Amino acid sequence: MLPRRIYQFFLIYLLGILVLLSLKYGLQLSDYVIPGPKTLWQTALEVFPRYALDVWNTLQVALIGQVMSIVLALAIGIPGRSTTWFGNFIKAAAYNVQAYPIVAIAPIIFILLGDGFLSRLLIAAMICYFPILLTVLGVMSEPVADVEHFYRCTGRMRWQLEVKIRAFENLHKLTTVIAGSATLAMAGTIVAEFIAANAGIGYSIRIALYQSDLARILVALLLIGICLSVYQGLLEHTGSLVKKAWTGSA
Amino acid sequence: MAAAGRPSSRRACPAERKRSPMRIECRNISYRYHAESEPIFENLSLCYDQPGFHALFGPSGVGKTTLARIICGEIQPAGGSVTTSRTEPILYTYNLERLPDWATTGRHLERVTPDGRAGLRESLVDIFDIRPCLDQRFGGLSLGQQNRVNLLRYLLQDFGFLIMDESLANVDEKTRETIIMHLKELFRDRMIIYISHNLVEVARFCRQIAVLRSVSKQPRIVRVTGQDLRLEGRPDRTALEKTMLEMMNAA
Repeated sequence: MLPRRIYQFFLIYLLGILVLLSLKYGLQLSDYVIPGPKTLWQTALEVFPRYALDVWNTLQVALIGQVMSIVLALAIGIPGRSTTWFGNFIKAAAYNVQAYPIVAIAPIIFILLGDGFLSRLLIAAMICYFPILLTVLGVMSEPVADVEHFYRCTGRMRWQLEVKIRAFENLHKLTTVIAGSATLAMAGTIVAEFIAANAGIGYSIRIALYQSDLARILVALLLIGICLSVYQGLLEHTGSLVKKAWTGSA
Repeated sequence: MAAAGRPSSRRACPAERKRSPMRIECRNISYRYHAESEPIFENLSLCYDQPGFHALFGPSGVGKTTLARIICGEIQPAGGSVTTSRTEPILYTYNLERLPDWATTGRHLERVTPDGRAGLRESLVDIFDIRPCLDQRFGGLSLGQQNRVNLLRYLLQDFGFLIMDESLANVDEKTRETIIMHLKELFRDRMIIYISHNLVEVARFCRQIAVLRSVSKQPRIVRVTGQDLRLEGRPDRTALEKTMLEMMNAA
């Protein structure tokens, strides 16, 4: 699973580079606009160690943000599954807020909290929070009648058991959305770094952008891609281990 | 058992109530699936008034499952009432139910066995012939095994009335017969209502058979007395054929 993800990313990345190089040579563009293979290679050797650390920094923020959003989505989604006024309020609020582009309020966060770690973390968490919350709400609100019937009619149903049944029956959905939200968390962090942060790969890309240095941007994209592929692959692998342990299936 | 549109039978119920404490009665039940749809039941009345193994029989789509769900309180009818003579719960089980796959069926059965019923569980496991399934998870069992495991866990619970909706579907005939025969012996003082499309089985083993007919037919329910065959009993072929014929004509 993990090598396949990285291999697929490399293929797409190489295709992208080939398209850029075709454009460069087809339209006879200068190295200033699109760098040649030699410049790309030299830039990679030059910035790779520093950018690797930057990506690691970004990934740490994204990871903490994602964990925060998962915990928060479960904390809100589980009580929100009920058909009480609270549950209905949570659902209505979640559906409405998720329709709004959260990135647009990033400047407000920077104004209020400054350009440090906290702002990046908050934006990353907010961006991946709503898709996870909606999935948790959807999964937890949907009764699994064939399984729950016995526990209900014999008076054995407790909220913990209800949550366990629904989570178990929708494990694939939950692990998929958690793995998918890694991209959102990473995107959120990078966007935050673009806007006003003082660290991370997004910040390095912003500097490269100001210098119109496409080679550096391409190296940064390569590192982001590898890092995200590894992270998502690990999440999927963890998900399949959890599934295997819980369902006993191979 | 009394049937709708059969006043003589309906009058018989209150008298029998004094003799037998086990009774379940539906009075003037009305129900429709949607506000715009035709009613599936209109003033439908039904009464089972003895403990034992009874049946609700009828062609597909006449509302057997709906009626069963109304009896056990899962569906509220638009009109009418369901009364029982005892306070024990009415349990309803159907053949599509599943056990969660996070543990083996044996572990699940242990967890849902009330105190003091481990012996009953062990007996039922042997009667139901599911001992080899106890180390497996529910999803890994055949449909017949799944249905047996599911039914078994209901039989371990406190109940006065149990409605078995196709609960022995996909179980081979010999095992089904063994299970029904033993259920009748083990739960003599309870009322079990068996919903099945198996004409021979219902005619042979059930005592009071309510044949639920299609919406266009009146009365909606016709009463047939089954052969109520027991472990030690031998089937009377002529009587069995007569019961089957009555059921077929009624349906």
